[in-house]
Amino acid sequence: MEPSSPVAQESLPPPDAPVAMPPVANLEFKALLLLIFMALLVGGSALYVLYARGVFESTQKLVLLSDDSEGVVVGMDMTFSGFPIGRVRRIELADDGKARIIVDVPTKDAHWLRTSSVFTLVRGLVGNTNIRAYTGMLKDPPLPDGAVREVLRGDAGAEVPRLVAAAKELIENLNNLTGSEGALGASLGNVQKLTDRLNGPGGALSVLLGNDAEARKLIATLDRGNALLSKLDGLAAQIDTQVFGDKGVMPETRATIVQLDNLLGEARASLKKVDAVLVEAQAVGANARAATDDLGTLRAEVESSLRKVDGLINEINRKWPFARETEIKLP
Amino acid sequence: MTPLARRLSTLAELNRTARNWLLGWWRLIYLGALILVLTLSPSSYTRQSRGVLARHIYLNTAPNLLGFTLMCALITVVITRIVVATALSYGLSQYALQVIIRVLVLELIPLTAALFVALRCAVASGVELSQMRQQGALEALQQRGIDPMRREVLPRVTASIFSTVTLAALSCVVALVMAYLAVYGFTLSGVAVYTRLFGQVFNPAVTLIFALKTLFFSLAVSLIPMASALYDTVAQRFRTSAELRMLVRMFAVILLIEVVSLVGNYY
Repeated sequence: MEPSSPVAQESLPPPDAPVAMPPVANLEFKALLLLIFMALLVGGSALYVLYARGVFESTQKLVLLSDDSEGVVVGMDMTFSGFPIGRVRRIELADDGKARIIVDVPTKDAHWLRTSSVFTLVRGLVGNTNIRAYTGMLKDPPLPDGAVREVLRGDAGAEVPRLVAAAKELIENLNNLTGSEGALGASLGNVQKLTDRLNGPGGALSVLLGNDAEARKLIATLDRGNALLSKLDGLAAQIDTQVFGDKGVMPETRATIVQLDNLLGEARASLKKVDAVLVEAQAVGANARAATDDLGTLRAEVESSLRKVDGLINEINRKWPFARETEIKLP
Repeated sequence: MTPLARRLSTLAELNRTARNWLLGWWRLIYLGALILVLTLSPSSYTRQSRGVLARHIYLNTAPNLLGFTLMCALITVVITRIVVATALSYGLSQYALQVIIRVLVLELIPLTAALFVALRCAVASGVELSQMRQQGALEALQQRGIDPMRREVLPRVTASIFSTVTLAALSCVVALVMAYLAVYGFTLSGVAVYTRLFGQVFNPAVTLIFALKTLFFSLAVSLIPMASALYDTVAQRFRTSAELRMLVRMFAVILLIEVVSLVGNYY
């Protein structure tokens, strides 16, 4: 204890008088406690940093190959279903120009990664890049230590230039369309001309027929057609009187038809008479058939008489001395 | 006075200022080296010296622990709430914790600890030493065969370094805990995520820079007041306020260390 040094206090009454410190009980013990406290704080913090850096967990290596490692930083997480299961330890350029992202996967989380797992590297418009693992078949064999896999890249940022280029092209096309010499401008000009002509003397007809002269011809034609129609109207009236008037065709025709009716009645009576004549003729026919039957009998008798005569002649011929040889000699 | 003579006198003034400036820095570095040598030599730890050292360490650190811890906790909770609320309103809440760890633990808290120790203990120690020097107490010690450097300076410097490092470590732990509580509440479910985030922020380079920064802060805070008390001439002391000059120098050094650490961290 410095202030209690007897030599110092005797020879130099106040060697450090301006800095007289209050006495503290158990000073060395308290100071020791403070030292231990600090050592614990610093040591504990160091251990916590090491633990947080994953020094104490056993890991396995996974190598991801990518065309571009932009946005990937050492220490970033690889996530599986949103949970961090790995940490990027190193990024290096391979001999073939591809980026090799070396990821440390803690052994306790490695079972989420299978041989069929897919890895993606997604870069958002805002925020950092994410490495994600997807495992569809959790029953596949586990991913071996030091496995090398291609990583699929999805880049929202890379889409932007393409989008901008497409938008630019679209705007250029629109500009061409809407420009004073563009198709839309010409169409609008034509519409303007059309409207002018519609409002002009010929109206829609001149638009349809091309020029005013044709339109005038059509109007003249229409006028003539109109006159013709009025004439036809008069004609139709005359036909009406001619045909349907008192002395027109129709009443006379009706009288003629009545006469024809009478004539037909008479003809029907005549036909009845003819019918009676035919009945009589039928009776005559019947008689004639009976007479014909008699004629058959007569013919049969004549035929038999003739056969008899023929037989008689044959008999005579046989009996005649100049009878011919009747036998047929077979060879 | 001819123009040439005026110019010469200006040059002489400039020369003197530059020499003083360089001398001041050289003495600071020399003192640092001296203290380092004394700290590492076992002869500095005699029973008597240990007692003095223990007293300085205890009186520099213990009274400040509670107050500083409370202050840190309060600042951390307030800043965490502000950052989290702002990040939430911009939809960037996933980055809020990282920002808090970076801003508070890496940058603000060590700086606050250094300034707190400087204003509470180190400057006072320097003034004490300066008074002892003016009253001839140091020379008297030397005449009695006691090395004043070993007896009076070394304990004060060591105590300030110890105090700065302890307060910085404690405040960092308190800030981490309070930030966790402010974001997650009284639950353990966020510890894994929080630890992982912490590990991402504290990569080896950042950790090294953080440790070096804290060390240099503590050195600046403890050495500059001592150097000022030991080497500033009496004439200088009366021309301008010595404490003010010393404070300006200390703040300049702290600022420089902070800037260098920021450059190291982010470039």
